[in-house]
Amino acid sequence: MSDSLLVPGVQALKGLGLNYAFVLDDMERQAFVRGLGVSLQLCLLTIPASLAVGVLLAALLSSGRAWLAAPARAFVEVTRNTPTLVQLYCAFLVLNMLITQQLRDWGAGPNPLTPFLWVVIVVSLHKGVFHAEALRAGIESVPHTTLEAARSLGFSRRQLLARVQLPLAVRFALPSLVNNLVDLVKMTAVASAIAVGDVTYQSIMIWTQRDNVLELLLLILLWFGLLTGLVSLAGRWLEQRLRMPGYGQ
Amino acid sequence: MANDAALNAPAAPWRHVAALRNPWLLAGLALLTLLGLWSATGTTPVAVALLWKWLPSLLRGLLVNIEISVLAVALGTLVGLVVGALLLSPSKPVQRLARLYVQAFRNVPLLVLIYFTTYVFPFEVHIGPWSFAFPDWLKVVLGLALPTSANVAEIFRGAIQSIPSAQWEAAQSLAFRRREILRLIVLPQCLRRMLPPWMNLYASITMSTSLASLVGVHDVVDMAQIASNTVVRTDFTILVYFTLLALFFAYCYPIARATRALERRHERH
Repeated sequence: MSDSLLVPGVQALKGLGLNYAFVLDDMERQAFVRGLGVSLQLCLLTIPASLAVGVLLAALLSSGRAWLAAPARAFVEVTRNTPTLVQLYCAFLVLNMLITQQLRDWGAGPNPLTPFLWVVIVVSLHKGVFHAEALRAGIESVPHTTLEAARSLGFSRRQLLARVQLPLAVRFALPSLVNNLVDLVKMTAVASAIAVGDVTYQSIMIWTQRDNVLELLLLILLWFGLLTGLVSLAGRWLEQRLRMPGYGQ
Repeated sequence: MANDAALNAPAAPWRHVAALRNPWLLAGLALLTLLGLWSATGTTPVAVALLWKWLPSLLRGLLVNIEISVLAVALGTLVGLVVGALLLSPSKPVQRLARLYVQAFRNVPLLVLIYFTTYVFPFEVHIGPWSFAFPDWLKVVLGLALPTSANVAEIFRGAIQSIPSAQWEAAQSLAFRRREILRLIVLPQCLRRMLPPWMNLYASITMSTSLASLVGVHDVVDMAQIASNTVVRTDFTILVYFTLLALFFAYCYPIARATRALERRHERH
């Protein structure tokens, strides 16, 4: 954006008592815009990754085999009942340290796992657990009579799962999946705790220099509002598209 | 009596076995045995001995987290019930305003709210000639109370609206007044329905108190970091962070279990 547009904008907001002078500083503006981009990247990577984790965990949980379901159950319980920040520390400060040391001992060069990747991994695993619970509830809420009807029509076990049970389960689970994804977008703010340069982190860097906390928080909230709004819009669109007569409103 | 004893006899060993199959009890017993063995033979690993030394500080830190969570949820519940009542107000503008409040505070990342309350509020408040310190932990309480109130408002609205309107009509036809219907019929049922989601909320706010360490409150996470940076031993760092995980789990998992038990009991009714 050219200065000719920014300067009057900043002046106008100054009249309202809001100090947005940082956008006139090239370095700070670029850092902030980069932060917006990093937050977006985090969301775009963690959404599919968390869904994949969710499907995998739901498959393990409803596999009916105790040696698969029990570890998955334990993982779900531990993840649900501990703070994300502590999980992030356990992963980044402990596992990452161990991996780095091990690689150094082997002489295999530097650790390829960046803080950014750790945030993607931890948030995906965390939210994947919540997706798995939603999917499992969806699978369980498919009526028995529907499954029996499909079986009586000669569907094999695999066909039954792929054509009847899963399509219905995904539709039942969709509202809570979208809810989880909105939560996930908000959760990416935790990345700033391990110095990943997302929008929160860049804002902290700027406001420690300029003392314009309120102004930057408004921008952060707008950005997160936009992202969560897009996610719930996409969710509603998907719900409309997948809607079947006779199910839901 | 003799019959009772005969009937109870086979049940007793079975119950004994069931207790032994409880994985939590087994893990606890194994840990105790290990600790006993170490202290008896004097071969306690250095990291464990150090953890034992730091444990009181960690627990004191956890107490700070618990205090913050209890205060935030208490405050949030009070405000949330008022906002929830406003959500059901017959006046449209009031309803819309309450809706906006709930939407806004449910869609904000908690961390951002905590930064907000920490940096925007002053560190001292002057009321007339008196000035009070406004410590960071109190600001975190406020930062967590805001989203709590929005969530409690939603829980309250959901509970009131889940009571069939036929009950209101039936009570009206029995000549109850509006206030009496609320107090004697609707609210008692609502309380029962609100309890499980409210407990869930409490557990999630407790977990969010860990974010307080990022704004300089000396909570359990902060204490673990201090311990790890003071001792500087790889094995101790591993141990202290996983102890942190275990402490939160030990506090939140029973709450989650109780919530689920309550939900199951309500389903049966």
